[in-house]
Amino acid sequence: MKRLLPFVIIAMVLGAGLLTARYLLTPTTTEVPRPTPVPDASPSATVANPGESGAEPPWTFGNPSAPVTLEEFGDFECPPCGMLHPVLKEYARQYGPSKLRIIFRELPLVPTHQHALAAARSAEAAGMQGKFWEMHDMIYETQKDWHEAFDTRPIFEGYATKIGLDLEKFRKDISSDAAEQRIFLDGKRAHSLGVKGTPTVFLNGREVPFESLAPEKLKVLIDDELKNHQ
Amino acid sequence: MLYGIAALVSLVGLGDAIYLTVEHLSGRSVRCTIVSGCSEVLSSPYATVRGYPLAGLGAAAYFVVFSLATLAAFGYKGTGKLLALVVGAMFLTTLWLVYLQAFVIHHFCQFCLLSALVTTILTLLVVYARIKGLD
Repeated sequence: MKRLLPFVIIAMVLGAGLLTARYLLTPTTTEVPRPTPVPDASPSATVANPGESGAEPPWTFGNPSAPVTLEEFGDFECPPCGMLHPVLKEYARQYGPSKLRIIFRELPLVPTHQHALAAARSAEAAGMQGKFWEMHDMIYETQKDWHEAFDTRPIFEGYATKIGLDLEKFRKDISSDAAEQRIFLDGKRAHSLGVKGTPTVFLNGREVPFESLAPEKLKVLIDDELKNHQ
Repeated sequence: MLYGIAALVSLVGLGDAIYLTVEHLSGRSVRCTIVSGCSEVLSSPYATVRGYPLAGLGAAAYFVVFSLATLAAFGYKGTGKLLALVVGAMFLTTLWLVYLQAFVIHHFCQFCLLSALVTTILTLLVVYARIKGLD
């Protein structure tokens, strides 16, 4: 019996390891409750767990009346955010502004990403001249070009020139309190919603599990939401 | 006794490697987070070997170490030598992976560092066992 005992122990550990792996691989949904109106609410009534409001107005693509809203908390230097960018851009094109609204919230992960804050400030500064999305797209699409740069300022200034911004104003706005405040407010909103990393996407107020951000899975979720709305 | 301790220590490495493998397979660790450099490390090309997560190979290695250490603890002849070979290979791999994190990826993942610590402890235990002439 004693000769067999080590094999029994080894088999038990193997079984426990496989079961643990299987349990951990089972998808979990960390959903934020869908905002629900308070019964017999007055016009000023609040909704359940709506979180902090974030920067106002948020950077939005699409109509406010669109049945599906995707709210992304993103970091321009985060590689998975860069990978999600073309997916969301394609959805915006496919579904159109009447069906899909996309909101971008700043969540630069400092100090993990050394240039994330500069990128967020640059996008905010471009937004002050009405070209947030142009800068947003350009920064994401060139992520690999500036990711390892020592100084990103001349690079982002080059983008500003390219998209036709007033460079002097852009330089001033980058370090403005207004840009900082917007990033801070978006960060506060992220914190209030329990956002732990980027990209984090909320679909009509519910957090989409990270593994469901794969293009084919996210599309199914959007389609389901549209169907439910019909 | 020494091999019994090695078996227990390898369980820590096994748990850590299973967690990292699951994170890799589910894609969760690829997300960027505020407190960890794991996303940079685990989304780097060094995190996979021919498409398979390196952490999965680590889990397999820790399981082999656990099995050999358990057998050695129960007095099976020859398993101590085999254990020393496997742990030696793991230690060399660990040195390479820590070098990659420090000088190539420029980010440290705390779970990878835990694995490095476990392998180092295993190496010390095995070396000590060999010096003491245990088999």
